[in-house]
Amino acid sequence: MSIYIISITFSVLFLVAVFELVRRQRLKEQYSLLWILFGVVLLGVSFNVRFLERLAEWLDVKYAPALLFLFGLLFCFAFILHLTLVISKLTSQVLRLTQELAIMKGQHREGEGGMQ
Amino acid sequence: MRTLVIIPAYNEEGSIAQVIGDIREHAPEVDIVVVNDGSKDRTEEIARDAGANVITMPFNVGIGGGMQTGYLYAYQNGYDAAVQMDADGQHRAADLPKLLAAIPHSDLVIGSRYVEETAYRSSATRRVGILFFSQLVSIVTRQRFTDTTSGFRAANRKVIALYASYYPSDYPEVESIVYLKRRGCRLIEVPVEMRSREAGRSSITPLKSVYYMLKVTLSVLMSASRVRVRGVKASG
Repeated sequence: MSIYIISITFSVLFLVAVFELVRRQRLKEQYSLLWILFGVVLLGVSFNVRFLERLAEWLDVKYAPALLFLFGLLFCFAFILHLTLVISKLTSQVLRLTQELAIMKGQHREGEGGMQ
Repeated sequence: MRTLVIIPAYNEEGSIAQVIGDIREHAPEVDIVVVNDGSKDRTEEIARDAGANVITMPFNVGIGGGMQTGYLYAYQNGYDAAVQMDADGQHRAADLPKLLAAIPHSDLVIGSRYVEETAYRSSATRRVGILFFSQLVSIVTRQRFTDTTSGFRAANRKVIALYASYYPSDYPEVESIVYLKRRGCRLIEVPVEMRSREAGRSSITPLKSVYYMLKVTLSVLMSASRVRVRGVKASG
């Protein structure tokens, strides 16, 4: 079994899994777009062996399927960067929520104290 | 019928007072809530001075999250109908009674620029987008829609409950139609006039439009593929 067949099978299964997660509302559409792009590109590259081999020759890579791994690795880096951006935004939002809630709690307590 | 007008606003100090004044004039009996989505200008105090209730989000949550806040507010305060209107003045309060009059016959009433020939004109790319989504939604829901991106809508109690439980987070207009159709709601369009924007900028820049098309198309297809549910049921 060649790496290409494994790669095709994997990318098809991967795409199906992503779509199913979105359909079940376990994954938000905006976060699924990058995964779908990844799956489609991987599928395209796996199908078009000639393109991969020409690219390998051009880049002076002896073993063409290694480019698939390179592609996968680079994509992972890009996705992790994307995730850390999202986490950063979430961190500042949680902080702001905590601050607003703490201030509200304080005001609420003051209001109760004034009633007595 | 207790009615709430929901106006999501982000940096709309130039037009918000006019919009609220218009509503007061044409529909004095309705309550108005402005969902101030983390504006950096004076939107909040201008809206409050104009006599509206203002909910200020702690930070910008985007149009979907802001709109859902309005529906949640309507749900928790027992309103029978909720109307969503833009803060930039493109929707005319004069059309409000027309939308509300259609509520007894329908769960959601959409004000459409295109049901009849109106004076509304927009850029070619924008019209192509509007046409594309109207076609897509018409195919998926088997009901003809002419203006799926219109943000001028009136909802009854059933739809208020559905939107309070789920509302798409960004670019929500198109998907929110398919979502309701899947839940067995009745939707109709009524013709309205819309004005060109008075102040502020459109939230959709050319750079974002590719993402917009992809995201909304995916959302519509996914929403359509979800299990059809009859009647109101909380989403899991």
